Amino acid sequence: MNRLKGLAFLLFLIALAVWLNGCSTTPSTPPVDEQAQVGSTDIGQQPDIAGIGDQEIREEGVPSHEDVAGLQRIHFDFDQFTLSDDARDTLTQNANYLKANSSIQVVIEGHCDERGSDEYNLALGESRALAAKQYLISLGISPQRLSVISYGEEKPLDPRTTEEAWALNRRAEFKAIQ
Amino acid sequence: MRIFWLIVIFMTVLLPQTTQAATEIEISAPGEQTIPLALVPFLPIDGPESPKAIGGFLDALNADLELSGLFRFVNPDAFLDDAAQLGLFSTQVNFGQWRLLGAETLVKGAYTLEGDSLVVEARLFDVVNRRLLTGRRYVGRTKDVRRMAHAFADQILKALTGELGPFSARLAYISNQTGDKELWLMDVDGHNSVRLTNHRSIVLNPDFSPQGKELLFTSYRANNPNLYRKEIYTGQEAKVSFKKGLNVGGRFSPDGDEIALTLSKDGNPEIYLIDRNGAIRKRLTNSWGIDTDPSWSADGRQVAFVSNRLGNPHIFTVDTYTQEAKRLTTQGKYNATPAWNPKDDIIAFTRQENGRFDIYTIRSDGTDERRLTFGPGNSEHPRWSPDGRFLVYSSDKDGNRAIYVMRADGTGSRRLTTLESDCRHPAWSGRW
Repeated sequence: MNRLKGLAFLLFLIALAVWLNGCSTTPSTPPVDEQAQVGSTDIGQQPDIAGIGDQEIREEGVPSHEDVAGLQRIHFDFDQFTLSDDARDTLTQNANYLKANSSIQVVIEGHCDERGSDEYNLALGESRALAAKQYLISLGISPQRLSVISYGEEKPLDPRTTEEAWALNRRAEFKAIQ
Repeated sequence: MRIFWLIVIFMTVLLPQTTQAATEIEISAPGEQTIPLALVPFLPIDGPESPKAIGGFLDALNADLELSGLFRFVNPDAFLDDAAQLGLFSTQVNFGQWRLLGAETLVKGAYTLEGDSLVVEARLFDVVNRRLLTGRRYVGRTKDVRRMAHAFADQILKALTGELGPFSARLAYISNQTGDKELWLMDVDGHNSVRLTNHRSIVLNPDFSPQGKELLFTSYRANNPNLYRKEIYTGQEAKVSFKKGLNVGGRFSPDGDEIALTLSKDGNPEIYLIDRNGAIRKRLTNSWGIDTDPSWSADGRQVAFVSNRLGNPHIFTVDTYTQEAKRLTTQGKYNATPAWNPKDDIIAFTRQENGRFDIYTIRSDGTDERRLTFGPGNSEHPRWSPDGRFLVYSSDKDGNRAIYVMRADGTGSRRLTTLESDCRHPAWSGRW
């Protein structure tokens, strides 16, 4: 009897896992980091299908969830929230993407490297997200579509304590929500 | 003799203003001489000895008194036969023996163990004047034996300095032991750790209310850094500040009536005062830059904070009545996390030099800056004990980030948490 109960519980867990997994790929939730980062290379791996599909969607002006790959992250110097030329170029691309996909709302996440005080970094991360938001607004994106959140140093992309990791972690990310 | 004179001074000059007595005596100040203390193993009142039950008492008491920096311990190997005598009345103690060993103070005690319940009687004697300074009787379970010792250590400090010790308080801190950053609570010696939150998100930067067993902290549970208040014993959580943007660094005022915190609801982080339910009472700062990390002065009149209004992050103070801000630190390029001593106008803070953070103190008038830690690694998040004698902080000097405690002058540093998880943002409770 106990064994039966155990089996039933196991089945329930599996069902739960499958269901949760299903949830995480529904369009209503923001995509995870990896999609934003490697999305464009995924398309490259399936040139025919993805290329054609992408084109059709753009012609119809219907945003697809996969197109979130079009939103690229930007990076900052230590203790700075000013936008570099590279960051401005990236933001211009992001703005073009948002114009082509007018139903997408974006959460801009500000992040810092691990150096510095936690509290100060929360403020700095917010300044970075706001700098990106202002620039997108200056490029014609409606402020109503943009919101910001700072994670300070709490969500590093690379947890190592190296210059490369820190440079990667000082960033603003753009998470699309429908 | 030293202790005799200390008591004479205490009785005659300082007794009318007892709360100030401890700071005036300053026997914990660096360079002051220490008091020779004989700490005698406690004996069973009747029945067999039970080192397993009572051992924790002497361990914990020894560690607390050692951390206090007030004492020099008489070598137990030199103890004579009075150490084996049960008599706990001052008429029964052979003080001559203890004077012979150079002891000026003596701790003796006895215990009764019945099943799991333990009764401990502890006494502190003035050997020179052959009299009892303080005596306490503790009743509890065997698992509480270290807490009994902490309570007695607090009483010993009170008997000798006029100010209770902080050892039976609690420390709150943030640990990622479960995989998420959650709020934890432990004893001041690092024992009895217990997790308080289950937000499965990011929990940050706790602060104890001065009265009651209540904590403030920030959590991302609702997808924004919001401020919560939690009652420790009931587990009840209240939403305090849920404004758009940052609701971080909440610190109770010394009277517990107000909370200073950083809000960025208008797009720029500023220091505000709110009431216990989150209603804004006052905005304290108004600058283009980042203003964050508030810490109250002991009298509740001023708040220290971090601002980059002049370029680099520096420590400032602001008067809560006039809202006039003054720059405090002038050295270094990155100063952060101020913590105002609850008994004195001294502010602990961190400074980054050569890519590493260390802890410093400075007087609130900008004089007497001192460096307390010297690496290796980073030492951050300093917070004072309620008596202002000790600092708890986080450091990665042993590898993973852990919680440490040290004296106010930077000596006596010891680690309280294991290196298995990342522990940071300690806060010391008031009297428990």
